[in-house]
Amino acid sequence: MRAFACAIVAAAVLAACLAAPARAERLVVAASTDHVRISSSFTGTSLAVFGAIEPDTGSVDRALYEVVVVVRGPDETLVTRRKDRVAGIWLNRAARTFADMPSFYAVSASRPLDEIADAATLRRYEIGFSHLDFGLTDRGDDSPEEVAFRAAFVRLKEDAGLYRETPFGVTFPGTAVFQSNIELPANVPVGSYRVSVFLFRDGAMLTTNGVDFSIAKSGFEQFTFTLAKTNGIVYGLICVALALLTGWLAGVLFRRD
Amino acid sequence: MLIYLPIAELPVNMFLIFGMGAAVGFLSGLFGVGGGFLLTPLLIFSGIPPAVAVASTTAQVVASSFSAALTYWRRRLIDFKLAGVLVVAGVIGSSIGVTIFTLLRRSGQLDLIISVCYVTFLGLVGGLMLTESLRAIIDARRGRPAPLRRPGQHGWMHRLPFKMRFKRSRLYVSVVPILVIGIGIGILGSLLGIGGGFILVPALIYILRVPTSVVVGTSLIQMIGTMAVATLLQAANNHSVDGVLALILMVGGVIGAQFGARLGARLGGEQLRAMLALLVLAVGIRFLVNLVTTPDELFSLATLAGDAR
Repeated sequence: MRAFACAIVAAAVLAACLAAPARAERLVVAASTDHVRISSSFTGTSLAVFGAIEPDTGSVDRALYEVVVVVRGPDETLVTRRKDRVAGIWLNRAARTFADMPSFYAVSASRPLDEIADAATLRRYEIGFSHLDFGLTDRGDDSPEEVAFRAAFVRLKEDAGLYRETPFGVTFPGTAVFQSNIELPANVPVGSYRVSVFLFRDGAMLTTNGVDFSIAKSGFEQFTFTLAKTNGIVYGLICVALALLTGWLAGVLFRRD
Repeated sequence: MLIYLPIAELPVNMFLIFGMGAAVGFLSGLFGVGGGFLLTPLLIFSGIPPAVAVASTTAQVVASSFSAALTYWRRRLIDFKLAGVLVVAGVIGSSIGVTIFTLLRRSGQLDLIISVCYVTFLGLVGGLMLTESLRAIIDARRGRPAPLRRPGQHGWMHRLPFKMRFKRSRLYVSVVPILVIGIGIGILGSLLGIGGGFILVPALIYILRVPTSVVVGTSLIQMIGTMAVATLLQAANNHSVDGVLALILMVGGVIGAQFGARLGARLGGEQLRAMLALLVLAVGIRFLVNLVTTPDELFSLATLAGDAR
């Protein structure tokens, strides 16, 4: 089903780019879905990103194209805390707040990032863990303390499966067609996502294009979550009523005296 | 079978959670305690965010206490007047507890306080229960009669004002110590996700001299009232009650409790108390080990509101 949808998308993309007259390189991008639903049986899914490169008709083929696919989840502000030993007990002491960090961040590239472009270029487009923008407070401060907090943030996100860097994660089924699979784990945050595709050649960013998709809870999960967040008291009353009902049922069913 | 929890926002194995609920329910039926002090740590150790674990167990305690209280109500073993005073105090306590909970979450110290409280209270109560029940067992072996409890030997309590008569418990005592006990249990209960029965029952017996026949039923009513309000407040303030998680725990818990109660009826009281004391101590020690050993990961992530990420 998905493979079929992907094939159609790929064919449409190819047709679109072959039909259009162009001067500079153009990038056409599509994703296998624009809406991921989280139901009670959700254990993660994968998103296929497709695209076609329409070469610059005027230029001679010098080097190979390189493609980088970046998927960013909704921004969130997180506090990174570090435990220290105080009087024999480990407790949270130092903390750094990183504002507007992507809650989900997956980078797939056709080659290792440092072979595709230099650090300054990658930094401009926030491509790769080491080129993420950690907010105003961090710029220029590369003391070991700050670096440790940033590294810990990325490491914890990686451990949770929410940050991923995959060199050779973009493949070329045809000369001008590329494809990449992005794994969305079970704990993927809900919200609107942006897929950005960057086209590189000889270390220069030629063009970029993107597509959006959203992840949302559906049905019962959505209902419960919304009710709990927007109408906590009603939700709480339902939970208490449920508890009393369960307790009463058990008391009646297992009555011994 | 994996099921996605809408509030905890992660999938869990439904049978694992059900099994935990049933196992803890079994022990709570066996020992006649709510079991929250076992369930909350189990959930935390199995990866549920502490805030969700505490709040969802609160709802579970309401269910298990209610099913147990029905039995005591049929046998008329509840002092409703005393329970009423305790519930009022408990509700005040749980409002304070939930407020503290919210503040601690923001400052990132919730996990620490939960752990420290568990170590302190479980260590204290477990230690006291163990020494007391061991002494009773030894006395029984040597053929010495158990010391008689003489009500009226607590002088300072009788000098306190606002006395109230509790006919069912045959007590005439000041409401001050009752309120203090109730508020204290309410704070602890909402902060730690425990009913507090294992603290409340000894407190009622040893401090207020409530007859043992009505003490369990009365404390169950206190737990239902206090924890129901705590569930409401957690849902309203912290949005951390996971209904799906709580329901699985409730069903497992009430089923397990039936089997536990049947076995408990066949075992001796002192042996049961010594076993419960060991269990309480073991959980306390587990938290202590976690606090003092160097963690594998020193760093942690959380949102500004304090949700672990």
